[in-house]
Amino acid sequence: MEEFLLRLQESDFGVWVSSAPTLLAYPTILMLHTVGLAMVVGPAWVLDVRLLGYGARLPIESLRGAFRIMWIGFVINASTGIALFISEADDKGLKWIFWAKLASIALALIVTSRLRRAVFAGGVASDVAPPNARGLAKASLVLWLAAITAGRLMAYVK
Amino acid sequence: MFLTFASWLHKTPISIVLQHQVAWLWPFCETLHFAGLALLLGVAGMFDLRLLGFMKRVPISVVKEFMPWALVGFTLNLLTGMIFIVSEPAQYFGNPTWWLKVTFLIIAGLNAFVFETAYGRRAAALPAGEDTPTPLKIIAAVSLISWAGVLWAGRMLPFLGAGVGAGL
Repeated sequence: MEEFLLRLQESDFGVWVSSAPTLLAYPTILMLHTVGLAMVVGPAWVLDVRLLGYGARLPIESLRGAFRIMWIGFVINASTGIALFISEADDKGLKWIFWAKLASIALALIVTSRLRRAVFAGGVASDVAPPNARGLAKASLVLWLAAITAGRLMAYVK
Repeated sequence: MFLTFASWLHKTPISIVLQHQVAWLWPFCETLHFAGLALLLGVAGMFDLRLLGFMKRVPISVVKEFMPWALVGFTLNLLTGMIFIVSEPAQYFGNPTWWLKVTFLIIAGLNAFVFETAYGRRAAALPAGEDTPTPLKIIAAVSLISWAGVLWAGRMLPFLGAGVGAGL
């Protein structure tokens, strides 16, 4: 495992990401990872607070488009995340906090897809959120916050 | 001048307290800064998209009901940002990229002020389903671009123009 991680990190691409003398390598990839974060978590939280009853005059149906923004953000973050991981594979891959981040994201994605099915699958979304939507919305709020927290702590936890 | 201010600030009791604070204060504030960013951009971004002509059937005033959440995100980021600055003033005042971030923030603020004072009532009176007038679209575009600029400059702080050993 460690040998594989080291090989990833020392690949041409890994070395380019971590040490190419250009702002377009590591700094820009990291910056795009933050843009993607905002595109995924921002709309997710808007949807969550709406499902929890805030801003009840806003038709839930009008938030259907949020999933498209979240999807684009997710693609940005999966790709920039893979690039960032490769560049520091031998470090991040051995940290429990990195795996905690991935677990939070995996759970958040499951919750998001269930939420989508519960609220938006049957034609026009009703403005009375289905009974299981509240629990899913709370889980989504917490899991995305956990993912952000674990991601930030990757720079600190040994 | 700002560096003189930075070294003065660095010696103030509040800065010294923050510098010697528990080791997790900085990562904790960074985490809140990222969460605040998502909340602010999520809500303000939705409002801007509405001004650009998305979700036309929803009255602007209804989308605006979410703005307190954007304010929560902004306040969170203002407070945590102040903690960073007061702890390590030279790291920020000495970095041109930080001034660029402040410039984008001022543009975003002025833009919001212009919206509120000159177009707020017009926007609220706009019937659902009707196309938004060009000035509102310009305001929305300026908002999206300036917040993207704030994010870009903020994330580039350690890489671009950082003279003093900035943390990642």
